[in-house]
Amino acid sequence: MSETKIQAESRTEFGKGAARRIRRADKVPAVLYGHGTDPVHITLPGHETMLALKHGGANALLSIELEGKSQLALPKQVQRDVLKGFLEHVDLIVVSKGEKVSVDIPVHVVGEPGPDSLVVTEHATVLVEAEATHIPEYIEVSIEGAEVGHQVLAKDLELPQGSTVQLDEDTLIVNVTHAPTTEEVEEELAEAEAEVGIEREEPEEEAAEGVAAEGESAEGETQSE
Amino acid sequence: MLMPRRVKHRKQHHPKRTGAAKGGTKLAFGDFGIQAVEAHYVTNRQIESARIAMTRHIKRGGKVWINIYPDRPLTKKPAETRMGSGKGSPEWWIANVKPGRVMFELSGVPEDIAREAMRRAMHKLPMKCRFVTREAGEF
Repeated sequence: MSETKIQAESRTEFGKGAARRIRRADKVPAVLYGHGTDPVHITLPGHETMLALKHGGANALLSIELEGKSQLALPKQVQRDVLKGFLEHVDLIVVSKGEKVSVDIPVHVVGEPGPDSLVVTEHATVLVEAEATHIPEYIEVSIEGAEVGHQVLAKDLELPQGSTVQLDEDTLIVNVTHAPTTEEVEEELAEAEAEVGIEREEPEEEAAEGVAAEGESAEGETQSE
Repeated sequence: MLMPRRVKHRKQHHPKRTGAAKGGTKLAFGDFGIQAVEAHYVTNRQIESARIAMTRHIKRGGKVWINIYPDRPLTKKPAETRMGSGKGSPEWWIANVKPGRVMFELSGVPEDIAREAMRRAMHKLPMKCRFVTREAGEF
């Protein structure tokens, strides 16, 4: 994974007032720490940081240019606005080339499972130890033609050389279970609907039959009169 | 329907409607979700109706998670009753949902089916909601 260069500025004022001024100027307050160094408070350009995190994912390797010096860093925690999604604050952790780091890597499930099966991803991300400069973007898990009962455990994951999973080897990652039958679903939904008080419209054929039957009985009544 | 089996106090004050969700704002289990954009009380009937609407559309393909729980009672006085004489009796169970909260999650179906299922479910909910996906990036 190639690093993305970001020009940072040193930050001298702190607190919510200063942070809000920075955000209004389309910048992101951030902090850089790690390797036993004192935390450095910095300001990052909003658009470049957003693009770097969008394209590089949660483990985008950043090269922070600060006062003529360059420093490799990984995002440790990214705070976003819950509704609008803009960056509120970024915690960056200092890394060096060749250093091993522990990061969460997303799991991508590919392929079509066998019939009557339901694929449940138990762990959407997996904790992996990898070189800071060679972090895998995602882990691909194939479930092509997988039958009911097929399980993908942590030890079954295929990782690039130099990366290791930091989970118990029997941790369940992807589970292929039995999909409920149509009758089971219908029965469960009918019960739930009865409890809530939802009345479903009759299918057209049944409704038509019902109308016909009513018509006949009405005719019978008029004749008897 | 969802409701607590036993509570410490039968009647409570109305929960606060201000502020945004502090947690549960990201997809935790599924690949698609319904996120609240406004604050609102959601009753257990609304939650169940939304789940039924979603499950009816996906039929037997996917798995649904409900991330909210109606654990707050609301009371109501009987009709044509004079004011006073104490608080009314518990009538509804509600979840106090704040903006940003992911209320339902879904997995195991293609995006177009998930989108339609969740659109139907959103019609059963009292607030403005939006469809979110894990692949969109922020989640």
